[in-house]
Amino acid sequence: MEQIDYILVNCCLNNLKEVVEKLEKSHPFQIAKQPALSLAMLRAEDSVESQEFYLSEALVTDCEVSYNGITGYGICMGDEPVRAYCIAAIDAMLQQSEKDEILEAFLNIESEKIKLKEKEEYNHIQRTRVDFKMMEQA
Amino acid sequence: MAYVSVKGGADAIAQAKELVEYYRLKDKTKPIEIEQIKSQFRLAIDKIMGEGSLYAPEYAAIAFKQMEGDVLESAFVLRAFRATLQRKYYSDILDTRNMFVKRKISSSFREIPGGQVLGPTRDYSQRLIDSTKYNESEQEIENFLSSFEGKIEKEKMQEITSFNKVIDLLKAEGLLMPAESNYDKTVKDVTLEAVKYPAPRSVTLQMLARGETGGLMTLAYSSMRGFGDGHGTIGELRYGSVKVLVSDTQGRKRYIGNVNLTECEMITKINTTKEAKIPYFAIGYGLVLGQNETKAICMSILERGIRSGKSENPANNQEFVLYHTEGVEAMGFTNHLKLPHYVTFQSGLNNLRESVKRNTNIQDEKMKVYKEMAKQFQK
Repeated sequence: MEQIDYILVNCCLNNLKEVVEKLEKSHPFQIAKQPALSLAMLRAEDSVESQEFYLSEALVTDCEVSYNGITGYGICMGDEPVRAYCIAAIDAMLQQSEKDEILEAFLNIESEKIKLKEKEEYNHIQRTRVDFKMMEQA
Repeated sequence: MAYVSVKGGADAIAQAKELVEYYRLKDKTKPIEIEQIKSQFRLAIDKIMGEGSLYAPEYAAIAFKQMEGDVLESAFVLRAFRATLQRKYYSDILDTRNMFVKRKISSSFREIPGGQVLGPTRDYSQRLIDSTKYNESEQEIENFLSSFEGKIEKEKMQEITSFNKVIDLLKAEGLLMPAESNYDKTVKDVTLEAVKYPAPRSVTLQMLARGETGGLMTLAYSSMRGFGDGHGTIGELRYGSVKVLVSDTQGRKRYIGNVNLTECEMITKINTTKEAKIPYFAIGYGLVLGQNETKAICMSILERGIRSGKSENPANNQEFVLYHTEGVEAMGFTNHLKLPHYVTFQSGLNNLRESVKRNTNIQDEKMKVYKEMAKQFQK
């Protein structure tokens, strides 16, 4: 689910909402727990001695959706009630190993978009890499 | 000392609350959108989240707007907001080795894994005011973005990679001080239990990470200037984005988003002793939310100083450092001075008046004696 979560958390919210609205027509999702704000404590460790410590908390929204007797869980950072609901609905579907062409196509397209965006950002960052030359080469 | 309750200020307080809002809005400028604050005041938002100890860019932006740009007050508001929420999740340990690196530099080595990547920084630019910002138009922003985006060849883009750390190379070569075994490794949470000193290292790291940037810098600077032993060399300073994973109710690992972090590993030298003959390198560690390099560097200096055991210098004294870099508490205490201290002050005033009166009486008595003596002398 980690990979799919990655797409659902980082994709365009409007597109996600749109695809879940389409799925709702054939899948009777029921909200088992309304989206609500809570906290996640971020655990960290120092990089030499691996001393664990608590870095900070992060705001999260979570939601539970039930579908065919299975509960799907949606959790994401930020105040994102719609996204949390959509993730929970998709999670409920995927737990039942339901294949859905609309969903698969959506995941593939959004995954490519996210990868491209990240790659572009990475390449912009790499333009700031220092190309050292000796003083006499300058 | 006794306290008395007074009333009568409620109406004035309500009026003052309205007045301060009026001062924020009286010039009838366009309302600033939260999205604008989030993206165009990125570094202020990072500071607020770090000091407020809550990763929530949108709420940090609201606090920033509400508090008219006062970063510390905004952090205060964010902490108060955090206190209203239930903590339901604990993340997996953040993996900074797999950071999506946006900036990484080393002042110890020229050649580091993946090279020196300057990333988004103003470190090498002159701090001259750019008056063109006064009239920045949407068209100019569009033009800049389209020109910037055209600077990479989309067909020849490199694949994303993560990079080894400089300290891993030193560690592999056996140049780092072996892990100390004689310190308290307990993981405590200062948001759940009161701190007792000496506190475990986990407390030092947590409190510095949520400390106030200016406070950390003041003490770290004192250490760098000689009131401590803090002039290390930056092994590596990284800024980038790290994945956050939590477990859901069913125990499944779930990805919930990314956090931007700045991490600093400061290399310092360990003095040799009879027992420890090798002058190993020791690392001071700094990790903070967002892009806040000054804070990460200062955290690493103070963290190392506290572990040095030389607590005669303020910057090496755990209790001194952790209490006085806790910005929200420090600000709260400072600002409590503005609250009525009428009874305390009246008591001091009465004592002073009594003392002055007593002294005046003594002086009068003395004068009488002197005058009498003078009369007798004249006779």
